[in-house]
Amino acid sequence: MSDQHQNLAIIGHVDHGKSTLVGRLLFETGSVPEHVIEQHREEAEEKGKGGFEFAYVMDNLAEERERGVTIDIAHQEFSTDEYEFTIVDCPGHRDFVKNMITGASQADNAVLVVAADDGVAPQTQEHVFLARTLGIGELIVGVNKMDLVDYGETKYKEVKSEVTDLLNQVQFNTDDAEFIPISAFEGDNIAERSDNTEWYDGEILIEALNNLPEPEPPTDAPLRLPIQDVYTISGIGTVPVGRIETGIMNIGDNVSFQPSDVGGEVKTIEMHHEEVPKAEPGDNVGFNVRGIGKDDIRRGDVCGPAESPPSVAETFQAQIVVMQHPSVITAGYTPVFHAHTAQVACTIESLDKKMDPSSGEVAEENPDFIQTGDAAVVTVRPQKPLSIEPSSEIPELGSFAVRDMGQTIAAGKVLSVENRE
Amino acid sequence: MGKVAAKIKVMPQSPEIDLDDLQDRLEDSLPEGAKINGVERDDVAFGLVALLPTVIVPDDAGGTEAVEEGFAEVEGVESISVESVGRI
Ligand SMILES: Nc1nc2c(ncn2[C@@H]2O[C@H](COP(=O)(O)OP(=O)(O)OP(=O)(O)O)[C@@H](O)[C@H]2O)c(=O)[nH]1
Ligand SMILES: [Mg+2]
Repeated sequence: MSDQHQNLAIIGHVDHGKSTLVGRLLFETGSVPEHVIEQHREEAEEKGKGGFEFAYVMDNLAEERERGVTIDIAHQEFSTDEYEFTIVDCPGHRDFVKNMITGASQADNAVLVVAADDGVAPQTQEHVFLARTLGIGELIVGVNKMDLVDYGETKYKEVKSEVTDLLNQVQFNTDDAEFIPISAFEGDNIAERSDNTEWYDGEILIEALNNLPEPEPPTDAPLRLPIQDVYTISGIGTVPVGRIETGIMNIGDNVSFQPSDVGGEVKTIEMHHEEVPKAEPGDNVGFNVRGIGKDDIRRGDVCGPAESPPSVAETFQAQIVVMQHPSVITAGYTPVFHAHTAQVACTIESLDKKMDPSSGEVAEENPDFIQTGDAAVVTVRPQKPLSIEPSSEIPELGSFAVRDMGQTIAAGKVLSVENRE
Repeated sequence: MGKVAAKIKVMPQSPEIDLDDLQDRLEDSLPEGAKINGVERDDVAFGLVALLPTVIVPDDAGGTEAVEEGFAEVEGVESISVESVGRI
């Protein structure tokens, strides 16, 4: 067992077997007490439910957790030889996408579950794009329910090629994806190599999990700390509060707040009510900067080093996927963009390219419109100053959700930023 | 459709806000169908303490928007942010 930690997202279309796979993994790694499994197995038999269903066990465990005192009920844990995994089963509904983009980073890598008998389905596409937007490093693709297609290699290859097309469409590097034919239900190629898929000689799921790269906290990137709130604390003065996304903040650092465009020297940093000399990615801090008043900075500002200040976009080019829009999106559309702690109305100034879903190549230059399901490259002009970064440089500050009419319309990542003068 | 647990960070307007009362008011502001499944407290800095209720909403309820809007109206709340979401 190892104490190296991995946050793992489980993604995929409804009913493709995510819960069953989580249940299977918990079971195979000895993370569900044997007696719990036994009890559910008996219950299932009594109720005359033919087979034993992991999905059923998982539902029951969820109810137990909900009744219990555990606070962190959304995360389950299991360990392999290499890592201690915390799993998050991503919500299916599109409206949670905003939360996953603006919230704390929850996943280093992901397992995509695709049912062999169904192939790529709408939520498969959304989740894959979300994974890319959230900066997921590696994707393990479990082609599940192989038992329902007689463990046929042809079917497996068909699904693999469909998923590969999808990855290309959103420009997810397919070298970072590992495909495995599995049956979460029967246990094929999960913890043990299956005799049913003799044509397959790649890694089984547990091996692929063990071989995931170690997550590296983004300490080498420049400091980026989106400001959540600004307080006046008696005896201290102005105290901005927020979570460090990248880099390190030290006492004595000369920092700059953008787009408010003010700066000064960090006098004190507190975390968990204790004064600390420095703070790192993931830390929630309050701090105090010499010469900064309460009205000089605001929520949505980003704090960074004075010598490498946060970018402020005059315009930026981004790759987006339209998740739901009642009609079509054309140039001039001005919804609200949610990026880190900022919410700014932005105009989609031009539609630059539309991608072909099957090849990932540019299907159309300067399309007249884009609609639900389309992946496109667009140029965006914020209506108020917005600090945002190219996701190739600082992925943590390079993604956004687009909302309008109370819905999440699209999600995207920033390709390049045209800085404001 | 299953249920989703969202951990929501609620920052009080000042270190002087009574957190027990604030917690009660958050509870009262919940829209129908949502429930709080435990509240953590996180010492932030300079006397500021964040409340971190875990709110359970149905996966098909259209996200945490209604809960966030309710919380934002509550007296004594400075800001709301959703820290994490996951199916339970
Ligand atoms: N035959 C077969 N059935 C499976 C397999 N994996 C899952 N199932 C069945 O497919 C159905 C859906 O499985 P779940 O694990 O609940 O799927 P899910 O992706 O979690 O579904 P949602 O949470 O509703 O999105 C259940 O009846 C499972 O027993 C598999 O490998 N083979
Ligand atoms: Mg499920």
